[in-house]
Amino acid sequence: MKFAYYPGCYLHGTALEYDMSTRAVCRKLGIELIELDDWNCCGAVEANNSLSIPLSARNLALAERMGLNIVAPCSVCFHKLSKANKMVKGDEKFRKKINEMIDGQYQGGVEVRHLLDIIVNEVGLERVSKDVKVPLEGVKAVPYYGCLIVRPSEIAKFDDPEDPQSLDDLIKATGAECLPYSHKVSCCGGGLLANKEDFALDMAKKIIDSAKRAGSNCIVVTCPLCHTMLDFQQSNIGSRYGITIDLPVLYFTQLLGLALGLGVKELGLDKNIVSPMKLLESIGIG
Amino acid sequence: MTEAIRLTDTDPRFVDEIKKAGGENILMCYQCGTCTSSCPVREIDERYDPLKIIRMAVLGMKKEVLSSDIIWLCSRCYACYEHCPQSVGVTEVLHAITNIAEKEGKEGNIRIKSLKPRLDGVFNDLIRKYGRLFEIKFFAHHALLSKGVVGLLSSAPDGFVMFRKGKLRLLPHKIKGMKQIERIFKIVGANEK
Ligand code: SF4
Ligand code: SF4
Ligand code: SF4
Repeated sequence: MKFAYYPGCYLHGTALEYDMSTRAVCRKLGIELIELDDWNCCGAVEANNSLSIPLSARNLALAERMGLNIVAPCSVCFHKLSKANKMVKGDEKFRKKINEMIDGQYQGGVEVRHLLDIIVNEVGLERVSKDVKVPLEGVKAVPYYGCLIVRPSEIAKFDDPEDPQSLDDLIKATGAECLPYSHKVSCCGGGLLANKEDFALDMAKKIIDSAKRAGSNCIVVTCPLCHTMLDFQQSNIGSRYGITIDLPVLYFTQLLGLALGLGVKELGLDKNIVSPMKLLESIGIG
Repeated sequence: MTEAIRLTDTDPRFVDEIKKAGGENILMCYQCGTCTSSCPVREIDERYDPLKIIRMAVLGMKKEVLSSDIIWLCSRCYACYEHCPQSVGVTEVLHAITNIAEKEGKEGNIRIKSLKPRLDGVFNDLIRKYGRLFEIKFFAHHALLSKGVVGLLSSAPDGFVMFRKGKLRLLPHKIKGMKQIERIFKIVGANEK
């Protein structure tokens, strides 16, 4: 199984541990990742459609030249690239216009998939379960999907937009407990962090509250923007409300990597801002 | 008591502008309110109301809509988009509206208080220059714009933590295909004129 790997800007920067754990887990599961040569930013939450569609299309054209489908671990990238792909594929005239803009030849032959989709639906949970070396007993996780990995469902496509299951199933396959809670597809507020910080922190707090009420000892995420809101901003949320939260937030690749027997360093678990070390020690790792 | 809406003061072409800017299906709205009840921002602040924004836009209340601070508060979560029974494409309609506001702001027709367009501009300029995001510069600009020099200094410890963990690059990476990136920006810029 071979993919053009689109890390996106965050995975080359503040979400370094997501990049590390993605590469390590894929190696273990027999997914060959070839980084998309000379990729550019998809436009993220900041650029509007008129800019992010051609920016994304340039990446699609690069993947087509490699003859590979794209896998993206960032839900924002996944959304932007998928949306551009859908629009370009569905409209010949529009495709020509975009090709003119990027001075390229995209024919519409590439598929864009989220890494979670690939692991759950292509590698499959049977294979994952077989490869589990360290069942994560004692981990009580809540699965946090957020927005763009499931919505709009006509673009995201691979899971249910109201009550998705793929991350739940993957967490269970690692031997960890997966707890039900009310906020799995609520918005983390990430899109508002830059211009309305207090709203963004309030939104993230609701997710953390719900996770705590459920009795979890960690939140599992699938996107660097969600991670920023729940992990990096956790101390800000704490001081805004005058509380101590101390709830580790792991990328799903970090959780899976632990179960596959990969090391703490390899998975970048020392790079999360809220340290997961106490949790790991409590289950005999680290 | 609130003031009555005088339809003589409205601009009936506003809807067409929105349609052209990416909100094609705005007129499909039958005002059920599902968008508003799905909205997480509305949960925090009642003044934010996607149905109301759409309704005002359909009525042609261009000036009121575009000069309102409220329109910049959408977090782009697509909950309204997903739930709308009329496939209005709510998030895209709201996005089209802020795009028009940004354009009118640039042309000096309205004054925008929200920092959002300026922050997005900083981001876009970095992509235009390097093809990728240069995070440390974006964070610094962001802190400076939103919280002033004090904010920039107070964000330094956060930046230091990131740096110590090896997460902040001090030098930008410029992609090889900058010609294509420049071309994209040039054409988009020309189309928006
Ligand atoms: S979403 Fe992110 S991080 Fe992801 S590439 Fe696009 S900008 Fe860069
Ligand atoms: S959910 Fe759709 S139809 Fe209902 S009020 Fe909102 S935009 Fe209109
Ligand atoms: S996309 Fe914007 S308007 Fe729609 S529900 Fe989310 S925050 Fe509210």
